Amino acid sequence: MNVLVWLAAILFILMVLIGGKNGIRSFISLFINFGVLLLTVLFMASPKANPIILTLIGCTVISCINLFFINKVNSKTTTAFISTMITIVILLIFINIVTETAMIQGFGEFEIEELHIFSLYIGVDFVKIASSVIIMSTIGAITDIAISITSPMGELFNHHPSISRKELFLSGLGIGRDILGTTTNTLFFAFVGGYLGLLLWFKELSYSVGDIVNSKVFIAEIITILCAGIGVALIIPIASWINAYYLVKKRNKGEKVAL
Amino acid sequence: MNVIVNKFKKFHYKQLIFYTIIALCLIASVVFVTHNQSLYNRPIAEVIETHLEDTTEMIDIHNNKDFLFTQRIIAKLKNGEENGQLIHLTNKYSSSGAYDQEYYVGNELFISIDKNADVNTDLTGTIKDVKRDKYVVIIAWIFIFTLLIVGKKQGLLSIISLAVNAVLLSFALDVYLKNSDISLLVICSIGVIIFTVISLLLVNGFNEKTYAAIVATLIGTFITLFITYFVMWLTSENGLRYEGMQFLTRRYQMVFMTGLLLGSLGAVMDVAITMSASIFALYEKNNNIPVKALKTSGMEIGKDIMGTMTSILFFVYISGSIPMLILFLKNASLLGYTLSMNLSLELARALAGGIGIVLTIPIGLYTSIFFINRKRTRV
Repeated sequence: MNVLVWLAAILFILMVLIGGKNGIRSFISLFINFGVLLLTVLFMASPKANPIILTLIGCTVISCINLFFINKVNSKTTTAFISTMITIVILLIFINIVTETAMIQGFGEFEIEELHIFSLYIGVDFVKIASSVIIMSTIGAITDIAISITSPMGELFNHHPSISRKELFLSGLGIGRDILGTTTNTLFFAFVGGYLGLLLWFKELSYSVGDIVNSKVFIAEIITILCAGIGVALIIPIASWINAYYLVKKRNKGEKVAL
Repeated sequence: MNVIVNKFKKFHYKQLIFYTIIALCLIASVVFVTHNQSLYNRPIAEVIETHLEDTTEMIDIHNNKDFLFTQRIIAKLKNGEENGQLIHLTNKYSSSGAYDQEYYVGNELFISIDKNADVNTDLTGTIKDVKRDKYVVIIAWIFIFTLLIVGKKQGLLSIISLAVNAVLLSFALDVYLKNSDISLLVICSIGVIIFTVISLLLVNGFNEKTYAAIVATLIGTFITLFITYFVMWLTSENGLRYEGMQFLTRRYQMVFMTGLLLGSLGAVMDVAITMSASIFALYEKNNNIPVKALKTSGMEIGKDIMGTMTSILFFVYISGSIPMLILFLKNASLLGYTLSMNLSLELARALAGGIGIVLTIPIGLYTSIFFINRKRTRV
């Protein structure tokens, strides 16, 4: 039997054992996420499509799955969704500028040798695809932080209904700061796990520091890690502010109706 | 009142020094990367004029339409004996830009200068690569400032922990390359222990909560490694395609396993600290809380984070393959072949990481309860 089938089966059993219904839901959402990602890639292969717009659509669907399917549709997930989308748009603009100026799109010097059998002139925009790679790799972490902030903020608001907007915002920031370190750490190790072969390759061929800090692949990976970090930091104030604004606005509206 | 003012002043003073140091570092590093051309042995030239000479439309054998451009560039040398002289370069690029790019005025390029017999003619040369160091420095600063502004002290700690981990990893790889008889997996397993201890202590400080998380992380990571290893042994690695790691010439299996170990480490740490932090918080609120109540709430918390944590890893791993998937598909490769060639290792990593995450939920719960019970008997 196939390694992947085995691992997937073990993951499924563990998720059901430990998470019950939630576990099944999480497992299904992984598959749907994979499907959405694949579909986005298939559309991107069409030369007429704009990868940036496809990425935005893909991210919208993925955050809907991660927020509304795993959790339920309620005020917490809705504000988390809105803040995720705002962060994604800001990040996408920033990353597109970065990939264009740093010229990190496409393939690196070590891959190109194996790719000689392929035609590289395939009529898609690799700069935009590089931006979408960075965004897509961060989307999971961004939705995670968004929901981790809006959910306890909602609890706090229920316990202290008279809390001010500023206090709510600051509490959200506090929650975000506490998870910032572990999330950047998670992303760092995940990326490093994937890049290990490459790092070893650089070290083995004893590239000089000057060569490494200008190499396309290496810089592309550093920039991916840094942009992912910027993304997870950026969502914290955005989610806190939007949630604080929304909760207080809802309360004020409720008061007016009561009057 | 005076005390408060003094305190504020002292605080302000410290902050001021901190920000001054950061600002000085920023200025120094930016000045350095924009003026470090003389440190490179390779000739560097800055583009001062570009001229589009030729545009051709091309269609490859798979009917993909692309445009090829030829660009004449005049650049000014920035280092070496020819510093200040002008050089003529030619650049060919395509509109898709998979392995080429258009250059603009202001770009700095690594070039090689053609040997020219005639001294009076203009210099000519070929473009080798782009000087990218300045971009990475600027983005690193944007990263540092975003984390500092949003995260304040925690942001600073995360930056420090990232930097320490990066240095440690580089050191571990050096140790491996110098002592090739020791397995990379063994070296990185020792590395994992150090990474865990340092990251968790830095972010959470010296307390029982952190110790419980460290123990849970180590147990969780190594059980995950063991399960994956067992599955790979059982199936004799059927379905894993190492072609994408061919550039490593040998040992790709071990590099893959080590990458899997490191990749799941961060996520497992995250779950472990979330579990122990929330269970200790429950205990601190009510010191007499029964173990059963801790277990139920712990499992509830675990259920909530399970899905989102696995999807974090999933997206990190799969997204990196997007350009390769598109290249394969556009070169008329079948979908099944494309996926198995490019995604088998990534999917295996993501699934193994997911197993680690889910396993760490009960492991984190029980180690926390163990540490709480120990604390109770001591009191």
